[in-house]
Amino acid sequence: MSIVIKNLSCKYGAKTPFEKLALDGIDLTVREGESVGIIGATGSGKSTLLQHINALIKLQSGSVEVCGIDLTERKPDLKRLRKHIGMLFQYPEYQLFAETVREDVMFGPKNFGMKNEEAEDAARTAIGLVGMDWEEVKERSPLELSGGQKRRVAIAGVLAYKPDILVLDEPTAGLDPAGKKEMLDLITSLRQKTVSTVLTVSHNMDEIAAYCDRVVVLADGKKVFDTTPQELFYRDDLENFRLQKPHVVHIVELLAQKGVVLPHVLTEEALEDALLTYLRERRGK
Amino acid sequence: MTRNVAFGQYYPTGSVIHRLDPRTKLFAGVVFIVCAFLASSYWAYLICYAFLFSVVLLSKIPPLQVLKTVKAVLAIVVVSVLINLFFYDEGTVLFSWWKIKITDGGLLYAGKMVLRIMFLVLSTSMITLTSTPTELTDGLEKIMTPLKYLRFPVHDVAIIMSIALRFIPTLMEETDKIIMAQKARGASFDHGGIVARAKAMLPILIPLFVSAFRRADELALALDARCYNATEARTKMKVLRFTWADLTAFLVLTACLTITALIYAGVIPL
Ligand SMILES: Nc1ncnc2c1ncn2[C@@H]1O[C@H](COP(=O)(O)OP(=O)(O)O)[C@@H](O)[C@H]1O
Ligand SMILES: [Mg+2]
Repeated sequence: MSIVIKNLSCKYGAKTPFEKLALDGIDLTVREGESVGIIGATGSGKSTLLQHINALIKLQSGSVEVCGIDLTERKPDLKRLRKHIGMLFQYPEYQLFAETVREDVMFGPKNFGMKNEEAEDAARTAIGLVGMDWEEVKERSPLELSGGQKRRVAIAGVLAYKPDILVLDEPTAGLDPAGKKEMLDLITSLRQKTVSTVLTVSHNMDEIAAYCDRVVVLADGKKVFDTTPQELFYRDDLENFRLQKPHVVHIVELLAQKGVVLPHVLTEEALEDALLTYLRERRGK
Repeated sequence: MTRNVAFGQYYPTGSVIHRLDPRTKLFAGVVFIVCAFLASSYWAYLICYAFLFSVVLLSKIPPLQVLKTVKAVLAIVVVSVLINLFFYDEGTVLFSWWKIKITDGGLLYAGKMVLRIMFLVLSTSMITLTSTPTELTDGLEKIMTPLKYLRFPVHDVAIIMSIALRFIPTLMEETDKIIMAQKARGASFDHGGIVARAKAMLPILIPLFVSAFRRADELALALDARCYNATEARTKMKVLRFTWADLTAFLVLTACLTITALIYAGVIPL
């Protein structure tokens, strides 16, 4: 259940004045169980890269292999491929279409060949996973739900067909801070319970720092970094890549300037622990 | 990708033709259409095509790119050629089989038909290839200005047109995204009979309509919030200017039209 991308390039509008090289020789491997974050400025090709994983864009050059399915073949089995991948687009609530939540969430499972009852079971489980009450929402129209609820339903619609890899394009865009936190907690709990491999595009460095094992940085369609968040966010030259530091890293660096040297932590909890340890040690002396 | 065939297929090169006043180009459009219907002999077509070809050269757009626009009407061309070939029965018979007779007159007539349709498509494409939709609406608004005195809401119509044009690429992009999202959920759009396929379109059409209404709402609110008033005299960021190039274009166009008309009327025996 891994993704192997080799030397992938993609051009939009080839041979027109609008020609744009969106991806330029990308190599990327995502192993089973990894959580990989992709960051980069707007227009750096993040969405284009994600869309290649699900064969939503025709492969122009290079190779992509997902869960053992080789996309360079002339007719890869797209149904099987897409069943493996749970893909959530930016603002997924805009893809809801059915009259009731139940039907919308059952859309995926039915497309992938589940029978009605089986699909309904899957939908119920998925709605439970995203923390909603099935009996309460199943007959409601998705359009009358609140923004956050819509997004949950959209996620449930993806989880319902039991994908092996989650691919998320800016899952927290447009949510309020509480909504963001909920979304991230949801992704974390999903990683423990159902899908272990997650690929996330995000603009929020705090999220990437807290939730990813690995970060890939894209700039103008090229991969410029592929490393751990710790390594990346504690570099001195991040500004050169128009990247901001997560708040936690910023605090650690400010403290270091004042002579309080802490380990390179990434999450608020870890920072808290590090500070407490530091204070205890000082008092001990 | 739908974004490449976005409406108007504007092809920027910054040439003289691109810089012409949109009113000139709209006038050119009228001249081209009239010419296409007046052109009665191969000589007249030769003149029209020579003119069109020089416009293409001046515009610096690769001629093949221009020729591609004919693809959209290829079926119409083929059908009209066949109809003319088979049912035009003046002149000497070249070939006959069952009830079908192909005559030399039919051949000539079909040839003219092809030239005519191609000329219509190519010349009007030259206008959309060299001007942005906004420029064309601006030009149209200016041309329609006299209608104001007949209480025709010229500016409102123009603003409606430019908003509509403005949102075509946006909605196309949106369609792209929705199609991808539903495909990712296993939807397929090329299976089954007509009913199944029409049903398969619903997961695309419904979100698209919802989003179009949402956008319309938001836009109306934004216009209101800024006290937008379509009826007052507004100034333009890009003022249309009639230049020497436009005057030249006008003269050349008029000449082309006159010659074609004279050939049609039989004054010039070609
Ligand atoms: N359908 C498309 N047609 C033409 N150009 C596109 C299309 N989608 C994206 N692009 C261009 O490709 C580049 C990369 O886009 P994208 O992958 O969406 O970047 P990101 O998700 O990192 O913001 C951008 O310059 C964008 O304008
Ligand atoms: Mg994007």
